[in-house]
Amino acid sequence: MHSPSQVAWLLRKETRELIASRAWWVLVLAMGPLVGVTFISAVRTYAEASGLNGTTAGVGEAFSPLIGIWAPTFSACEVAAVFLLPFVAIRVVSGDRQSGALKIEAQHAMSSFLRIGAKAIVLALAWAVASTPAAAAIALWRSYGGSIYPPEVATVALGHFLNAGLTIAIAALAAAVSEHPSTAAILTLSVTVGTWILNFIAAVQGGVWERAASYTPPALVAAFQHGLIRLDVVLVAAILIAACLALAAVWIRIGVAVRRRLRESALCGAIAAAAIFACAFVTPSWDASESRTNSFPEADEAALARIRQPLRIEAHLAPEDPRRVDLDRKAIAKLRRVMPRVEVRYVSATSIGLFEQTTAHYGEIWYELGGRREMVRATTAESMLETIYDLAGVKPPAESDEAVFRGHPLAVPPRGAAAVFYGLWPALVAASALFARRRT
Amino acid sequence: MLQVQGFTKRYGRIAALTDVSFSVRDGEVLGLIGPNGSGKTTLFECMGGVLPLDGGALVRDGRPVTARDRASMLFYLPDQIAPWPAQTVRWAIDFAIGLFGGRADLRDRVVEELDVAPLLDATIGSLSKGQRKRALLAIGLLMPHPLLLADEPFDGLDLRQSRDVARTLRSYASAGRTMFLSIHQIRDAGRVCDRFVLLSGGRARGEGTSRELAAMAAARGSSAGDDLEEVFLALT
Repeated sequence: MHSPSQVAWLLRKETRELIASRAWWVLVLAMGPLVGVTFISAVRTYAEASGLNGTTAGVGEAFSPLIGIWAPTFSACEVAAVFLLPFVAIRVVSGDRQSGALKIEAQHAMSSFLRIGAKAIVLALAWAVASTPAAAAIALWRSYGGSIYPPEVATVALGHFLNAGLTIAIAALAAAVSEHPSTAAILTLSVTVGTWILNFIAAVQGGVWERAASYTPPALVAAFQHGLIRLDVVLVAAILIAACLALAAVWIRIGVAVRRRLRESALCGAIAAAAIFACAFVTPSWDASESRTNSFPEADEAALARIRQPLRIEAHLAPEDPRRVDLDRKAIAKLRRVMPRVEVRYVSATSIGLFEQTTAHYGEIWYELGGRREMVRATTAESMLETIYDLAGVKPPAESDEAVFRGHPLAVPPRGAAAVFYGLWPALVAASALFARRRT
Repeated sequence: MLQVQGFTKRYGRIAALTDVSFSVRDGEVLGLIGPNGSGKTTLFECMGGVLPLDGGALVRDGRPVTARDRASMLFYLPDQIAPWPAQTVRWAIDFAIGLFGGRADLRDRVVEELDVAPLLDATIGSLSKGQRKRALLAIGLLMPHPLLLADEPFDGLDLRQSRDVARTLRSYASAGRTMFLSIHQIRDAGRVCDRFVLLSGGRARGEGTSRELAAMAAARGSSAGDDLEEVFLALT
């Protein structure tokens, strides 16, 4: 019922409406200084850790551009995605309802999914354009002689793009279900605050909350910022984006009875929930970091892959105990990537563990493999590997210095960055806005 | 012939439409007459498919009209809207033609007949009520649908503009286009419509030509004669 030219008209209309909105120009304008602040600060810190101005040269992760430069620089995108992008998305979706254009466009036989899809495509492209300052940061870093490892930069960018996609989808849904843009803004920010609360509960309670929290936008961004691409997280994000956009498409059909829209929403929600549940069993992941931040040394990974028996770990540590955080992030997360048959059970009577320290078994970590059990108290990756090799009767691989990541120190100040982000970019945006206004 | 059968719509406890039925004949200019709050806009929005009905159906040739049929059959032009406010009238017209597959061949003629040419480079949001009405009527006339539903097409227009617009609408009707116009000024309706549907309190109080309605009023003991205003008062 629609031709490609009609879809092209729709895309053109959404683009023009976006360009006409002040919210969009504010987002683009703000991205320069936001990225600038984080990039300049990150480069300065990195330079000082590398020995600039006579400071002592740093070691280890401080020299990794992923952790030292890209994670903080791109965090500006996270701030923009949470606090600015929703208003742009709401403007694009609510604008039609507010002006009455929806009453005209809704009469077209074109599917509402296509209409919401057109808005989402334009908003995604808009986000890509708004992210230009991040690309400028990469170019500046290169001009300073900084090392760029494309897979890890691409991974960080992908994480922020997925996060923006989630924001767009949630804001579109909020705008579709509410009569007024201000209500949509409150709904969208409520979802954001809700994910923060979920992360807090997960940190205190652990268990299923922890699993659910790993799929929230902040957790998604954090994983990508460490150069880790988890297929389950990518799939869950994609499902959430598709589900929110589908629900938005259901709710912009103003001519359909509310009861029917509620039924369709319930069906859509059930399908999305089932798909997300299925994704929880997807295990593949890729470590795109140059420093292999999320992986054991390759020789250890090969040795662990040869162990076929299931491994059970029972850790007597409370959710808020820093040792449990260490064990989970620096050891078990890496282990799960190479040994899919790992069952981890945490045992604790309280959430902080402070008053359990004197309890008989608190702090013990039991490993069980092939009917043999062994207890250790250390939470490091090295101690864990040693125990597993011992239980499996596998000879630990010889340590090799060749594979160790040496880092890329760079003792250069952020020359010219302030002019680019605080001067050139705002001037460019202002000129573009004036040009766009004159053209329309 | 398109039939509106038993249209019923409630807003909570308020009944906006109650069992409204009438027919729209091909090629006619049908006027929907009723005072403010009588349910004219609700009726049009339900017919246009932008407001869900609680009961009733739109029927063509004895079969209910599906959403897909409706999309190719009729175009509803709402009142009091300012769609795409940041875009120029020129662009809005081109967009509507492009999106709905409208009559690009009639574009210049409609623009001239409705005196929209001086407005083409102005943004829709900057237009006065009457200017916006003419720009939107241009869009409505350029749509490919055989039936045009226009809500208050004369609202905001001065006397001369009302007469010009009425003449234009009639000319398109005589070329085969069916028009269904919601008008609260009975004098305006009398000037342009072939037949009328009288709506009051969410109920259809009568349907027919002015002569048929006058006869209906007379049958009820009214001495309204041929004066449409008096006939309307007698029947509602």
